[in-house]
Amino acid sequence: MLELQLGLTLASNSMQGFDLNCCAGYEPKEVVGLNPLINKAMHQLSPSFSSRSDNGNQVDNKKRSFDDAFENNRAVPRTLPLLLWNNQPHEDDDPKDFYSHPSFAINQNNGDSVVGWPPIKSSRKKHCHQNNRSVENECGYGVIRSSSNYMFVKVKMEGVAIARKIDLTLHHSFLTLKSTLINMFGTCQEDSNCYKLTYQDSEGDWLLAEDIPWRSFVRSVQRLKLLRSTALLI
Amino acid sequence: MLKKMSYSFPEDVLEHVFSFVTTHKDRNAISLVCKSWYEVERWCRRRVFVGNCYAVSPVMVTRRFPEVRSVELKGKPHFADFNLVPEGWGAYVYPWIEIMSTSYPWLEEIRLKRMVVSDESLELISKSFKNFKVLVLSSCEGFSTVGLAAIAANCRNLRELDLRESEVDDLSGHWLSHFPDTYSSLVSLNISCLGSEVSFSALERLVGRCPNLRTLRLNRAVPLDRLASLLRRAPQLVEFGTGAYSAELRLDVLSTLDGAFSSCKELKSLSGFWDMVPAYLPAIYSVCSGLTSLNLSYATIQSPDLIKLVGRCLNLQSLWVLDYIEDSGLEAIAASCKDLQELRVFPSDPFGVEPNVSLTDQGLVSVSEGCPRLHSVLYFCRQMSNAALVAVARNRPNMTRFRLCIIEPRTPDYLTLEPLDVGFGAIVEHCKELRRLSLSGLLTDRVFEYIGTYAKKLEMLSVAFAGNTDLGLHHVMSGCESLRKLEIRDCPFGDKAILANAAKLETMRSLWMSSCSVSFEACKLLGQKMPRLNVEVIDESGPPDSRPQDCPVEKLYIYRTVAGPRFDTPTFVWT
Repeated sequence: MLELQLGLTLASNSMQGFDLNCCAGYEPKEVVGLNPLINKAMHQLSPSFSSRSDNGNQVDNKKRSFDDAFENNRAVPRTLPLLLWNNQPHEDDDPKDFYSHPSFAINQNNGDSVVGWPPIKSSRKKHCHQNNRSVENECGYGVIRSSSNYMFVKVKMEGVAIARKIDLTLHHSFLTLKSTLINMFGTCQEDSNCYKLTYQDSEGDWLLAEDIPWRSFVRSVQRLKLLRSTALLI
Repeated sequence: MLKKMSYSFPEDVLEHVFSFVTTHKDRNAISLVCKSWYEVERWCRRRVFVGNCYAVSPVMVTRRFPEVRSVELKGKPHFADFNLVPEGWGAYVYPWIEIMSTSYPWLEEIRLKRMVVSDESLELISKSFKNFKVLVLSSCEGFSTVGLAAIAANCRNLRELDLRESEVDDLSGHWLSHFPDTYSSLVSLNISCLGSEVSFSALERLVGRCPNLRTLRLNRAVPLDRLASLLRRAPQLVEFGTGAYSAELRLDVLSTLDGAFSSCKELKSLSGFWDMVPAYLPAIYSVCSGLTSLNLSYATIQSPDLIKLVGRCLNLQSLWVLDYIEDSGLEAIAASCKDLQELRVFPSDPFGVEPNVSLTDQGLVSVSEGCPRLHSVLYFCRQMSNAALVAVARNRPNMTRFRLCIIEPRTPDYLTLEPLDVGFGAIVEHCKELRRLSLSGLLTDRVFEYIGTYAKKLEMLSVAFAGNTDLGLHHVMSGCESLRKLEIRDCPFGDKAILANAAKLETMRSLWMSSCSVSFEACKLLGQKMPRLNVEVIDESGPPDSRPQDCPVEKLYIYRTVAGPRFDTPTFVWT
């Protein structure tokens, strides 16, 4: 749960003629006396940053002390934060949770695209589609085989929202392929045994990748999926 | 007594002095000096800019500035361009037109961006303002050609009608014929976004009888073989946009078109060129040396043809092009277009699985080296390296707008497989005048630390698929002194940074966060404690408090306002 410490709101009267265009719309009023808790929290901020940077010296010199930040900087108003930044690591900061959260709202679209990405206006998007309609891929799915040296295939890992793509021409065995994929999704190699590599063939069927020779696999693969072993009925 | 002496300038002297001060920022500053300056200033303010139509109410604006002649309003947040804002969210212009129709009978100019404009609004505009001159609708929607017909028919003094990138319900091209035969004051017409054919003879007659026409941007439906007759009627054109630039090669058509272009001695800007075929390229060669602006972003010609074309445009200042230009084309530009200031490279196949062109980080580095005045960049590509970004930063410390879109989210440096933190860090460190930045690629909290430390003049930041923890967002909100607009999607930022920097939000125009980790609790708290902010939770799947507490909100839009909560909130917006 959120631990909130509400600081004092200093008397900053709204300016007459509130200026919407000026980013420094508030003139700081005289500071009567700051809550010592706030003071302490602010001081905690500076040392914690320097420990994070490799170029420790350079970054430190740029960091403003609390006084510099709040006395001379007109742009930051004196209203105090609703939550004190205490910079303690929290469990809910774990980035992995973010991606497996059920509400992580990415429109899957059969895993083909993310809503509004890449950021292109609709008028332009319409134009792209019209142009590329003539580029029919022979296999009808997600793979474009060309005379150039690429063969990109979509890969999904169970439990991960965003798909990746991998160039199969860079691989010659299931071992290297699987190892690279595990790396791509940020899982450690020890866990790779927990995942099975499956693929969708040109007929739309999902099969276990390691069951056929590499060459046949490359000729018929349309897309890949890494499934957790427990999910398979084998 | 001394006080009285210094402030005894007669008002008309003050007014005269103020008339030389034109930018919105400066006029706003003047009004804060003292009460009498505020009074004088508000009576002589002629142009008003409202960056967020919900930040202030039309009544407040008309009450404070009674003598306005020109109004500019912006509505939806930027991410609405990419379909992230649901239909029906708001930004209706009608309430503004209604108020202004009585308060500003002498209004001359209306400029709108990302607003919903109904046919009724257009009709009201056309009937309310006798001296109406300029209508610019940028990325607007909600109106049809019926509304356009009203404008054409009733605005006797219209100079400018610019529909750039708006979505128009295009019922027919007949609206253009509503310009009366006596009407001849057109200076600028941009109908490039319209789908259907306008009556060509009406267009020809209109162009023919408007001697002051400087800008004409046609829509795709105007065929190539009609261009020459239009150009012949308007050799004084400065800016011209073609329709579809494609036809079977006929030498007579080519030579007529070439002749028509040559007769336009003032031409500085070209655009259009949908479906361009190389065969008709030579028709524009004669005007290339005078061009300062070229928009080829719908032109499907390939690199060798593009190189031939831009090689002749030695005075080019602004170039918009598809990634067909490739690295080789950008190298050619770096060698010939020494005056280039703005470059935008759009993707020809953004949803393709594999790269279809050879456009990489190298192209960007080349132009950064060769074009000393380059300061505004929008670049879509598929690979980037820290080394390239550092080179760009070192080459172009004068960069003011830098928007990089690496098409695949979270792509690392392709050489080292590391995040691109250092590269973007170099950009903000070296480019001290940077006002706008869009990030992409694999990025950790580190990049935000750099941004918070160095990007002191940054006004707008766009972030997607980046960062690790709230610390990232905190760096930006606490460090970027000039920040006005912050838009974030798909980042693991939660409640802490926003709440710790709540005060910062009142110094900014707006904050957008979608697909992040902000809880409804935090939003409610923020809304309660900060009365001068509107905190809008946009969630189409139902009431946010019906879901478990740790479930993040779908979309969050926070903006400062003196108008209080809005009256037109749709059902899917929770405040």
